[in-house]
Amino acid sequence: MKIYIIGASTTKFGELWGISPRTLAREAVGGALTDAGIKPAAVEALFVGNMLSGMLGGQEHLGAFFADELGLGVPAFKIEGACASGGLAIHAAVAGILSGQYKTVAVLGVEKMTDHKPEDVATALMGAGSEEERLAGATFPGLYAMLARAHMAKFGTSEEQLAAVAAKNHFHATLNPNAQFHNALTVEQVMRSSKIADPLKLLDCSPISDGASAVILTAKSKGQRVKSKDVEIVASAVATDTLGLAQRESLTELKATKEAAKKAYKQAGIEPKDVDMAEVHDCFTIAEVLAMEDLGFYEKGKAAKAIASGDTTLGKSKKLVVNPSGGLKGCGHPVGATGVKQVVELVEQLRGTAGKRQVSGVNVGLAHNVGGSGATAVVHILKRA
Amino acid sequence: MNSPVKIWRNQGKIASLLGKKGVIISWTMVRVPPAGFSDQAPYPVVLVQLEGKRIMAQLVDPPVGGQVGKKGLIGMKVITVIRRVVQPSTEGVIPYGIKVKPLW
Amino acid sequence: MVGIVSYGTYIPQYRINVSDIARAWKKEPSEVVGALGVAEKSVPGTDEDAVTIALEAGIRAIGGIRERGEIEALFVGSESHPYAVNPTSTIVGELLGIGNNYLAADLEFACKAGTAGMQAIAGLIASGHIRYGLAIGADTAQSKPHDVLEYTSAAAGAAFLLGGNKGSKGDKGVIAELFAYTSYSSDTPDFWRRDGIRYPSHAGRFTGEPAYFAHVMGAARLIMEKTKITPETVDYCVFHMPNGKFPRDVAKRLGFTPEQLAPSLTVDHIGNPYSASAMLGLAAVLDIAKPGQKIFMVSYGSGAGSDGFLWEATAALRQFQTVRQKDNKTVREQMEKKTYVDYVEYLKQTHKI
Repeated sequence: MKIYIIGASTTKFGELWGISPRTLAREAVGGALTDAGIKPAAVEALFVGNMLSGMLGGQEHLGAFFADELGLGVPAFKIEGACASGGLAIHAAVAGILSGQYKTVAVLGVEKMTDHKPEDVATALMGAGSEEERLAGATFPGLYAMLARAHMAKFGTSEEQLAAVAAKNHFHATLNPNAQFHNALTVEQVMRSSKIADPLKLLDCSPISDGASAVILTAKSKGQRVKSKDVEIVASAVATDTLGLAQRESLTELKATKEAAKKAYKQAGIEPKDVDMAEVHDCFTIAEVLAMEDLGFYEKGKAAKAIASGDTTLGKSKKLVVNPSGGLKGCGHPVGATGVKQVVELVEQLRGTAGKRQVSGVNVGLAHNVGGSGATAVVHILKRA
Repeated sequence: MNSPVKIWRNQGKIASLLGKKGVIISWTMVRVPPAGFSDQAPYPVVLVQLEGKRIMAQLVDPPVGGQVGKKGLIGMKVITVIRRVVQPSTEGVIPYGIKVKPLW
Repeated sequence: MVGIVSYGTYIPQYRINVSDIARAWKKEPSEVVGALGVAEKSVPGTDEDAVTIALEAGIRAIGGIRERGEIEALFVGSESHPYAVNPTSTIVGELLGIGNNYLAADLEFACKAGTAGMQAIAGLIASGHIRYGLAIGADTAQSKPHDVLEYTSAAAGAAFLLGGNKGSKGDKGVIAELFAYTSYSSDTPDFWRRDGIRYPSHAGRFTGEPAYFAHVMGAARLIMEKTKITPETVDYCVFHMPNGKFPRDVAKRLGFTPEQLAPSLTVDHIGNPYSASAMLGLAAVLDIAKPGQKIFMVSYGSGAGSDGFLWEATAALRQFQTVRQKDNKTVREQMEKKTYVDYVEYLKQTHKI
């Protein structure tokens, strides 16, 4: 039995003041169903990835909420793992299919963040960290800033190299009609932006965004017809590390990423060098640097220089293009939606329908989704059918 | 953390961390604070290696009589103290918790 | 006998120059400093309050004491208890880890709430009812911006562990014996703060002769009558220090020399930390006193009253001083460890903006 993504769709990401979570969901799931060419009645279960609906909007029970809204009277679940909620929802869907209980399922990642004051959103996001971190007055930029500082102290990574990550992802975003930002950024502009948590500045940080993405998964047994636009999920792996940064073994890597990646490569029977494009979790510029190393694409301490030299930029890269969608920084980061959007991007790239941001010769794509400061990591690997 | 019950339940944890010495291993300066910390911003948040345990806490009271060295705050010796943590509401219980200050 | 077994003090690190406050209000700085005899005062951190300060002083007082569970009384005197109802003394007692067998009480009497606690605890010990008691005076004193009190109201804490000489194993005994104590009280409304109102009010010059001087000298005379001592027969004197002038003036009137008063004058460095003022002055003297020396002490609290004490340093004080100097927590060392803030930072740290 193999699991395929047969439909994928994403809404635009951005400050979507006039668009409600219900509308976002209808647009994303409706688009995915159309893309899959199946009727709603074919869907047997709904997995929803979301983090903040309860804390900010007072609405829990999102499985039932969206099943109701989408007219899908099927088993429905909300999966939450902070910013990894979307990736975890896909993983749960995969597990549901592998168990034999469901054959065709829909996964929706959705987040509405702009209804609330930025201060309240920042406080709610710290729900992804530990109580000790909340009582210390830490914020997410603060936690990743401490990781940045440790990386800079150990490997000499510079603030300019971090800024180059943001510049690259904004360049990719200019080619993505669904991205939140369509302005190019220079390293100087990033360096001049105001400090949020030293050494991270405003433009080192992904924005507050609204958006939704959806995929339709189905199991096909040997002999069953596979369409050319179907994309196979060859790996879906999750790993967990300590909730708080203070309890980690190392401050210069995310062990959860390393472990999830190791499991995923084994499931897919491939090595890092076999990956052609990746969507990684750049919630802050340092996170992409760490991801490049933890996913095995670069040796420890070597990624920042490579990224700054254009090694993973569309059009410049000889091998691996990273975050062609614009990543979290350029495309936007509606927290629960990101993990699903990453997979949608992989699908479009593997199908060859990514338009101006198409990476050439893509056979294997990797999506990397992280929760909190690295307590959860999800890695998916997709192949052309 | 303004539940009086939670505050009461955590007293032992706080008391056991009081007066412990340690070294800063990473830090940041939070300039855009979360709710309840605006009266203290900007403030440093640090990762501290105590004996046998690592904690994250706010650093208070600037080091006296010297600029922060080239390594920034990394390597600075500190000691744990008790201070107010989140800004209390007008009517709620006042939360006290662990912070660190330079050891002298 | 009853006396001090150990003590600890805490002065927040921040200072503001009185001249910076004067300039904010377009007053002539030299006039203000000259009139009050105070050049700078201590300022609490944004996250400090009477509880955290009392706790720091308490930790320094009982740090070396193994018999924490034998502390059966803990009184905290303050004018800035964070709660109107909910004792500072139990928050401090819990975090000090002194167990549950103790009498906790919060006292309020303007600037003499702490010394009142010392007398009450002395009585409990002398009667044989308890073995050890901890008396703390701690304040983050409030004052209305532009009011004259703004130049002197400061923050600090002092904690005295009192006990009898019949200590259990490991107790080094009393370092300063309490020879005599008395108190002089009357209803004199020179300075007050209504419940729920943020800043205190005062009656201007009325706070001088009929208030401070009448009560300090009243208690001083009672002690002298009781013990038959005269200024010539004691070594040091300590008085409540609302500004740089009053303690010098009352010392002179009572017949003490400037040299006898000098070591206690913490006001010259940190202003007036209300309930901790006289207690901090006593600690500063104990930091340098020699065994056998006598210390005359009178506190003052508006409303009004004065607590008088006569202490005598014992041989055990020397060992205590050695330990205290090693951990850099003498009053002098703390007064010298300072970081200046400007008027805006002062307003932020004292929660006025």
